[in-house]
Amino acid sequence: MSLAPETEITEMLFRILFSILLLTLIVLLSYWQNINLEKVFTWSFVRGFIQILLMASILIVIFELRDLLILYGVLLFMCVFAAYTAKNRFPYPNIFKLELVAITTASIFVMVIVTTPILTIDSTPISIIEREGTYIIPMGGMVIANVMVMTTIVLERLIADIKKSKGTIEAALSLGDSSWNSVKPILKESFRAGLLPTTNRVAVLGIVTIPGLMSGMIIGGVNPVIAAIYQVIIFLMILSAGFIGEIMIGFLFIKELFTSEDQLKISWFNPK
Amino acid sequence: MNGQSMDNQKQKNNGEDCPICFQNVSFIINSNQIINNISVRIDRKGITGIIGPSGSGKSTFLRLLNRLISATTGRISLDEKSYDTIPVRELRKRIGLVQQRPYLFAKTVEDNLTYGPRIWGVSLSKKDLIELLDKVALPHEFLDRDVENLSGGEQQRVSVARSLANNPDILLLDEPTSALDIVSEEILENTIRNLSQEGIKIIIVTHSLEQTKRLTDQLLFLKDGKFIEKTSTKEFFHKYNEKEIRGFFKKKESR
Ligand SMILES: Nc1ncnc2c1ncn2[C@@H]1O[C@H](COP(=O)(O)OP(=O)(O)OP(=O)(O)O)[C@@H](O)[C@H]1O
Ligand SMILES: [Mg+2]
Repeated sequence: MSLAPETEITEMLFRILFSILLLTLIVLLSYWQNINLEKVFTWSFVRGFIQILLMASILIVIFELRDLLILYGVLLFMCVFAAYTAKNRFPYPNIFKLELVAITTASIFVMVIVTTPILTIDSTPISIIEREGTYIIPMGGMVIANVMVMTTIVLERLIADIKKSKGTIEAALSLGDSSWNSVKPILKESFRAGLLPTTNRVAVLGIVTIPGLMSGMIIGGVNPVIAAIYQVIIFLMILSAGFIGEIMIGFLFIKELFTSEDQLKISWFNPK
Repeated sequence: MNGQSMDNQKQKNNGEDCPICFQNVSFIINSNQIINNISVRIDRKGITGIIGPSGSGKSTFLRLLNRLISATTGRISLDEKSYDTIPVRELRKRIGLVQQRPYLFAKTVEDNLTYGPRIWGVSLSKKDLIELLDKVALPHEFLDRDVENLSGGEQQRVSVARSLANNPDILLLDEPTSALDIVSEEILENTIRNLSQEGIKIIIVTHSLEQTKRLTDQLLFLKDGKFIEKTSTKEFFHKYNEKEIRGFFKKKESR
């Protein structure tokens, strides 16, 4: 792999310039509808564009790598970034720590499973996904991003429901119930809320959507049937990592929320 | 109502025989002193009433007793045993709390009544359940009712019955009759009296002076997070006339 040839670069430059027209449209719509997100749109696109361009140039190098340790190092960095992004949505202490532990453990665990050789054919080790940068990095990235989204949904839901049900939780506690029991129904609902969007995406797979990974592989020239199989694999990876991440963030958060004396931490409900 | 008598109070607390005991207890949130260095001794028997202006810390006091919150400083003890030596869940079972607002569990009235006992591995018979409903003046067919569809007063009574079902030694009631009609109120007051006669200690927060007269043996007057009066109910109404009592509720204490 190398940088693209010059003519291709010129072509791409025109493509991106024309697609900026769409961004202008978005900004105009936002302005027209008074949504006040013009700056946010522009800024996040500029930022995202630069980030992904940088990433792409790094990828050129990374894809050549076969050293699993370095690849996992890259995944780890992605986890830190994801946890940091997730944290920013919550004005509470310790969220970064919880997100980091949940995202990293869940994602790396699943990535290790899918890159561990199960058998050898003609003395080549075979694992669920290929042990190369071209697979590990984009698929790992998708897993991490999805775990981040799913754990965020769980946290948002948990915080909202616990605030709403503070009285009921305390009613259970006041009867001598354990903190775990007092939030069990809420925890269960938040897990479901986190899992359902992805599950729905799986259910409409192929009929309503041809998701990103598969499209990418097809555009890249891979046989659609093989791309489809990889798409199913990535969804299984996302759901299993997501579920593990959800359970971890849920439990860590509940532990954070209660004192050792089965009391709701007052500071959570009285932010200064 | 003077500093002298409150000091005597403090000394008594440090001695023996303090069944329900607060020693220099404060509760502070965001440097806001909600309970202000309280020392008080409460009898193990009878009905103790707590009155005081809105926002004076009455509910907070009960929540401290049920240990839904812990004192920022000071020591609370039950039968001479410090709260931090009693397992908290056991303590909460023994000291039941009926909160000011009835936060009920989904879904039926029966679910609510069986919730507490189930934590402790106890199941209630139909007869137990019916008895509980009788005690709070609710019709028997209420067992299967969805709590969502109950009136405020009905919810309040379910909330009382739910705490009773847990069989506490001490029952803390935070304005348990505030949403009740006079007949239901009377039935609930009778139940409270009976419970007290069965040896269950009652501590009741109320805004009704008439109710304290009907029900309580002892009165605590809480103001700005401090008990400014503690006396037998009889003595309280003997000592102060209505105008003076009204004065206690006013913003600044008149001296
Ligand atoms: N969690 C909390 N965070 C901030 N302030 C609180 C909290 N709990 C209680 N307070 C404040 O402490 C004071 C005492 O509250 P509390 O509920 O104990 O009053 P109360 O005597 O029961 O009043 P009422 O008669 O209106 O029920 C109030 O000013 C209240 O705003
Ligand atoms: Mg109150």
